[in-house]
Formats: sequence, C-alpha cells, structure tokens
Amino acid sequence: MDTLREIFGPNFLLRNSLYISLLVGLACPLVGMYLILRRLVFMGVALPQVSSCGIALAFALHAGGLIPHIPSAGHTLTDERTLAFIGSTALTLPAILLLSVLTRRTRGSVEGLLGTAYVLAGAWGMLLLAANPMGEHGLLDLLKGQILAITNEDLARTAATFGLAIVVLWIFKKEFLLVSFDREMAVALRKNALLWDSLLFLIIGLAISVAVISVGPLVAFGFLLIPPLTAHLFARNMRQFAVLSAGIGVGAALAGFCLAYRHDLPPGSTQVALLGVLYGLAFAAKQIRSKLTPVGRAS
Amino acid sequence: MNDPNLLTLEGVAVGYGRLILLEHLDWSLPRGRFVGLLGANGSGKSTILKTLLGILPPLAGRLTFHPINGRPPVLGYTPQRESLDPVFLLTSLEVVLMAACSRIGPGRPINKAERAWAQECLKETGAADLSSRLFSQLSGGQKQRVLVARALATRPDFLLLDEPIAGIDAAATQAIMDLLRRIHEEQHRTILFVSHDLTTVRHYAEEVIWLHEGRILHGPARELLSREKIEEVLHLEAR
Repeated sequence: MDTLREIFGPNFLLRNSLYISLLVGLACPLVGMYLILRRLVFMGVALPQVSSCGIALAFALHAGGLIPHIPSAGHTLTDERTLAFIGSTALTLPAILLLSVLTRRTRGSVEGLLGTAYVLAGAWGMLLLAANPMGEHGLLDLLKGQILAITNEDLARTAATFGLAIVVLWIFKKEFLLVSFDREMAVALRKNALLWDSLLFLIIGLAISVAVISVGPLVAFGFLLIPPLTAHLFARNMRQFAVLSAGIGVGAALAGFCLAYRHDLPPGSTQVALLGVLYGLAFAAKQIRSKLTPVGRAS
Repeated sequence: MNDPNLLTLEGVAVGYGRLILLEHLDWSLPRGRFVGLLGANGSGKSTILKTLLGILPPLAGRLTFHPINGRPPVLGYTPQRESLDPVFLLTSLEVVLMAACSRIGPGRPINKAERAWAQECLKETGAADLSSRLFSQLSGGQKQRVLVARALATRPDFLLLDEPIAGIDAAATQAIMDLLRRIHEEQHRTILFVSHDLTTVRHYAEEVIWLHEGRILHGPARELLSREKIEEVLHLEAR
C-alpha cells in the first residue's frame, strides 16, 4: 500500500515510466487478441524483433549521414526516440503487411516464415548495431526498452498511438471480426476483405512499433500475448475476452512495477515474469476445474 | 423486366492460381430452383461454389449474375463448419449478427432491428435456444442451423451452402435438409447446396449438377439420378 501511495504521489520521479507501463498493459493485450484469434502468435514474436531491427537500421543510416539530424528542441533523448520511431515504424508496417499476405498464400508453413523473419531481423539488428560507431551507447538501451527514461513527449506519443489503436479496434470491431472469423463470408457480402485486413495489420504494426520503443521487444511481446492467452482460458464471449485481457495487462503492469520498484529489479522483466506466473496459475486452475467438473451429456 | 435466370456461366473455367480444375462450364440457373451440386471429394464442387461467391476469380469465361429489380442479387453463404476456428469466443447470436455487415456501414453499431431480425432467423431455423451459447461448443447439426440462420439474415436472393450435411448424423441430416426444403418452398429462394451424398441429393434437390471424372452433367434430379442413369455414369453394369 505504501508503495502504491508513493508511486502515485505527485513527486514520484518515475511516474512517466509507470504511466507508460500501464498504457502498454492496457493496449498491447487488446491488439494481441487479434494475433491469438488469427493464430499468428509467432507474428507477435517476430514483429517486435523486426521493429528492433528497424530502430538499429535508422541509427545506422543516421550515423552514416543518410538520415539528417532531426531537430526537436535540442533534447538528445527525444531526438533518439524520434529516430527510433521512424525506423521502427518504417520497417514494421511493411513487414506486417508482407507477412500477412505471405501467411495467407503459403498454406501450412506460417511458422517457418515467421521464424525466418524473427532470426533474420535479430541477426540484422545485431549486425547494424555492431557496425554503428555509437551503437553501444543509447541505442542498446533503446533496444532493451529503457523504461526508466521516458520524457513527457514519449509518453504523449505513446498515449496518442495506443489511443488511436484502441479507438480504431473498437469502432471497426464488427468488420475486423468478420474478416478474421470468416473471410469468405466477408467476400460473399462484397466487403473489401483485403482493405480490412490491411487496416487491422497496420494498427497492430503501429502499436507494436510504439510498444517496442517504449518498453523493448521482450516486454512488448509479453504484453501482446500472455494476457490474452490467460484471458482466453476463462472468457465466455468476446467482450469478456477483451476486458479480461486488458485487466490482466494493466494489473500485471502495475503489480510488476511495484515489485520492481520495491526490490530494485528491472521493471519490464519483472512484469513479464509476473505475467508468466499468472498464466501458469490460470492454466493450472483451469485444468483442476475441468477435472472437478462432472461429465455432462451433450444437449 | 427481370431475367428468368439468376446466373449464367459461359465457358467458365475454375481452379486455384494457374491450376484449372474444371473448364467449359456452360449453364444457366433459373430463379427459385433447389439445386444439388454433387460430386466426389476433390471433384471441384467447393471450387465452383467459391467462384460463384467471388472468393475465387473464374480462370476463363464469363460468369453473370442477372440483376433483380435493378440490383445485383444478394448472396447468402454457409461455409463448411470446420473452416470456422473455435478460438473465437462468439455466441450463436453474434455469428448470425455478422450478416448485418451487408446492410450496416463500417463503424456503425448494430441496431435493435438487426438484433431482432437475427433472433427471428435463429427461430426460423429452430436454433432460438442456442442464441447465447458459444458457437464453438455446439454440435455439428446445431452449428449448421446457426450458419443457415446467418445466411438467411443477409436476406438473400440466392442461398449457397458448402457441404451442409457433411459429418453430421442421419437425424441431423434430415432435419437440416427438411429445413432447407421448407425455406425453399415457403420463401421461394434459389438454393444451391454442395454434397457428395447421392441419396440426399436425389431425395431433396429438384435439379442436379453432377461432377464426375471431369464431366459435368446437369439436369432434373429425377432424370439424372435415376437408377439407369447412375449405372450408366458410374459404369456399374461393367463390374
């Protein structure tokens, strides 16, 4: 309780880090729901890695003089994050569109395709980092998700992007659900399934780009997938699925931040570890419940 | 004046990518018929259906839907049940409400009238009591009733069903086919259903399109599925 009072106090120095954790905890599971529903869990692994590679590429191009200096009130940290945002978005959005088209066309070998994207993005990210003379400095922190150095501008940009993603997912949920659940029906109803698919993947890609810059690929992946996987064990309809996913995400973000602050641990890793514990407990509870439920007769 | 035919195929070839499965499809489908599309597994039945629906483009020829009162006919579709992923936590009512996407613009919420219509369609197919149950947890026959309700909820001029009786028991098969016959008789809708079950097609369909070893036979069910004709097509007398 004391920790909660302290971190929500007006003078708490890391309040932007807390807010960004809560934003990631809220938005990433809502985006990740569609990765679970469309059985694209591996995309949730590959895309944060592609996003990291985009950040490394942007910094390499900047160091080579191919991307000019980005003026932003002379704030070095903000300059870096703007550059990271450009690099991450520029690579993630085309990658998600390309992967979504390829996964539809290459039946049965989706995992191989996404696995290849994951390792290639990882390898290129490291190569670009190694070739960059300033690579060992702020860039490495960015790729790891430097959650403790969040400026007001970062927070505003993250909040605006996640807000946009949540609003678009909410407004067009019936169209996104239709093309995800039964694409053939959507085509029969003369809906432009490709357009709706593209919009959905653009929103997912944008949210992942921002999440990776804010908290790094590991934490972004954790919040994209573990809360919806946990929620899916107990939810009885799509509304419960969304509410439970977001609730688990926000709860784990807050509890993980408190634990990390109290015990001087890295917050992102603590939050993901906590999500893992929650998933394990939920899975065990589900198994026990199904064992205890008497066998019924189908109606 | 409306054309008496709902659709016409002229030299149509169907298939996937560059692979042609069937070609030289030339037939017209008059309105208000109850048609069975019969054939063995892999004969191209579902490919024809998907081409009619616009899911696959015809690889050659011309496929024309004739307008009804100046507008293109509305298609109601029921896919094969197994193609719908159980990971979606959708109730039966939510599945039926998807049909409302044909009338309600993007981003606009589903209104009370559409909900009432979806409930009405569930009632019509004898699935009113399933509306709040998860679609993924229904039996094969129950799922089929919900999918027929969804197709009806689009207010279709042409109802297309992909293997509506595959994998369900005899009682459920009869219930589904009786339901389709009733819809056809009472609402005068054109219905095309895909099946590999010769007995069911012969019992229920007025007209048959039979795909057999690359041949396409088309005619009244009574003639095309007579004992003599079946023996002739299947070369049974030679065995």
